[in-house]
Amino acid sequence: MQHQLKREERPLSPRLGIYRWHATMIASLAHRASGLALVLFVPIYLWLLRGMTGSTEQFDATLLWLHSGWGKIFLWLMGVALVYHFINGIRFLCIDSGWFESRAGLRNTAMAVIATAAVAALLLLVLL
Amino acid sequence: MRTVKEPGSAHSGLSDWYWQRLSAVVLLLLLPLPFFLLVSVYGGSLNQQALLDIIDHIYSRVLHTILILALIIHAYAGLKVILEDYIHRIFWRVPLIGAMLVMMTGFGIWWLSIIWAWA
Repeated sequence: MQHQLKREERPLSPRLGIYRWHATMIASLAHRASGLALVLFVPIYLWLLRGMTGSTEQFDATLLWLHSGWGKIFLWLMGVALVYHFINGIRFLCIDSGWFESRAGLRNTAMAVIATAAVAALLLLVLL
Repeated sequence: MRTVKEPGSAHSGLSDWYWQRLSAVVLLLLLPLPFFLLVSVYGGSLNQQALLDIIDHIYSRVLHTILILALIIHAYAGLKVILEDYIHRIFWRVPLIGAMLVMMTGFGIWWLSIIWAWA
């Protein structure tokens, strides 16, 4: 029973260990994870921007790095995080506006977003 | 109510929520632009001179500035919520949010200076 737990044992939000995993929960957590990843990518983006707008040598070096293994890993991770955060962000804005608010609507759109992001991840893997 | 650390509704919660959505809409419109620029440079369809011609333009600088402001507001709101959810001790939470704000402001100023310093 909830109220019999000791004060310090009570679960605090978000209750990851208590709720069963749902598509909607995965979508929400992935939104946070991808958002955090995108924040961490900002310094690298700034570094790229600086290189690309610098001297010709700097531009060539930046382009070379982007085509290297680490560059491709960076582009893939950033691309997947961006695509996911972008489309799930649109989903969240829709929900805030009152669309897809039903239980089925929330679940189906969550699955659609996860599936789209998975397709985008595969597509990016092929294209890079 | 004794256990509520910060009152939510009707205090400053709506403001955070509103700014997060507003910045989200701005990013929705602006973020695809640098993304396609990066893809074009990576793919080789845009050389350095062409890239510089685009981002040196006054419209690009203004849009880039709006993008950065929206990005900082959005990242601050998002990270603040994450920190508030997972860090329960006020002793850690407040300095961390403050440090995050200072770092983001620093990055923002640096970024803006890069954009407006281009000749």
